[in-house]
Amino acid sequence: MAELTSFGYVSGDSLLHNLDPRFKLLNSIALSLVCLNLNFISLGIITVLLIGFIMYARLPLNSGFKELRYFFVLLLFVFMARVLSTGGGSLIDFKFFSVSRQGLYAGFLVCWHLAFIVLLGFILISTTRPSEIKAAVQWFLKPVPFIPEQKVAIMMGLILRFVPVIFDQAAETVEAQKARCVQNRKNPVYRLIKLGFPLLRRTFERADDLVAAMEARGFTENRTDPELVSHPRDWVALFVVGSLCVLLVIL
Amino acid sequence: MNIIEIENLSHRFADGTVGIEGVNLKIREGSFVVIAGHNGSGKTTLLRHLNGLLLPTEGMVRLADMPVEENLLKARQFVGMMFQDADSQIVGETVYADVAFGPENLRLERIEIEKRVNRALRAVGLQDLADQRPHLLSGGEKRRLAIAGVLAMEPRVIVFDEPFASLDYPGVKQVLQQILDLHRSGHTIVVTTHDLEKIIAHTDRLIIMQGGKIVRDGSPVEIVSHLEAFGVREPCAYRLGVEVESWLN
Repeated sequence: MAELTSFGYVSGDSLLHNLDPRFKLLNSIALSLVCLNLNFISLGIITVLLIGFIMYARLPLNSGFKELRYFFVLLLFVFMARVLSTGGGSLIDFKFFSVSRQGLYAGFLVCWHLAFIVLLGFILISTTRPSEIKAAVQWFLKPVPFIPEQKVAIMMGLILRFVPVIFDQAAETVEAQKARCVQNRKNPVYRLIKLGFPLLRRTFERADDLVAAMEARGFTENRTDPELVSHPRDWVALFVVGSLCVLLVIL
Repeated sequence: MNIIEIENLSHRFADGTVGIEGVNLKIREGSFVVIAGHNGSGKTTLLRHLNGLLLPTEGMVRLADMPVEENLLKARQFVGMMFQDADSQIVGETVYADVAFGPENLRLERIEIEKRVNRALRAVGLQDLADQRPHLLSGGEKRRLAIAGVLAMEPRVIVFDEPFASLDYPGVKQVLQQILDLHRSGHTIVVTTHDLEKIIAHTDRLIIMQGGKIVRDGSPVEIVSHLEAFGVREPCAYRLGVEVESWLN
């Protein structure tokens, strides 16, 4: 569970920590969309800026990278797929494979885009309490018809709360089965079934207990709304990020 | 004054199993009652009637003269409930969010919610962990968080279902201290357990259940010799004939 536990909110008092979560979400979405249309130079400038902000907010970039090690493996696959599927003047030829300059360029760029978006997500998650993100999503969903924003917010909270619990349960079930030599059964389907059913049963039992616990605390959809207050600094941040986006697109 | 009055309460589950049958019970305000019995004796089923999580097939539960069915939300505010598995009871993604869950359901003003949450966290000594994710807490801390969640609703009665299950010694001491503090602050406490050792020194009334019925009700000294006949181990001090000592000593 270490993968999920340390990639989370880090308390602090920086500007990033104190911004309104709605503005942070908007800024993150804007930068994510804009970065997809940027070239190497603009992407370089904005990445340096982002890393500067991470250092300024004293976020644990090293442990963030460590948590994302599997994501980098995924990036490697994306890179290879891009390199091998993009045509152009070939640099290296080996049997059926050919690597072109354009392929390398496209591979690097798409990986950089993805890494940049993940970096934005890292900043958002590290500087915003989960309850604030939940409140911001609830606020944005309020005017959308046919979407019960209170229910969505509760579901988001429960997912954040119970995903680690389910992972812990899965790890415990795996250990218990290893203790009874399940590794001697080579059939992966058999092993999956033997893991899946107890895990599902336990998860449903837990869900039953959860319903009782929520009812015992008077759960209703008509609850107190979260309180979000914007300050001048939030509008300034939105203006700066907006201007930056426009500038980068023009460049 | 009787804060809980149960009259001829019976509950039959959908598959026909009898959960409890013909239970009559009166609990005075401010008392500390322990309900003992082996697994499946009906303790949890009885507790779940106190705040309307289960409704009776027959009979009636009154909280300070108000029938539970009349106003379920009020009943749930009146009787705070601590479940056996604290992990399933904690619904918030952070310690603070979990304690705020109940007051938010009561549609209190944000400022009042903040006051109640801070007060409840201070009462259980978790104020420094407000931003912590609940699954990173220890077993004892999780129980204390669940207690804080209940406290923030300002109940008059707090019921604990097997509060010491799967806790280590420091965890048991923390939770026991918390229960005693709550009793001292005027709450009526009802605890169910099959392991009396940890709590017997603090109760003035012991009830034994078997087969969904109350089979003994009185002071621990009067009843304790009957325990083993109903599948509950007699506490060590009584077996050895020595003075009962608190687990906090």
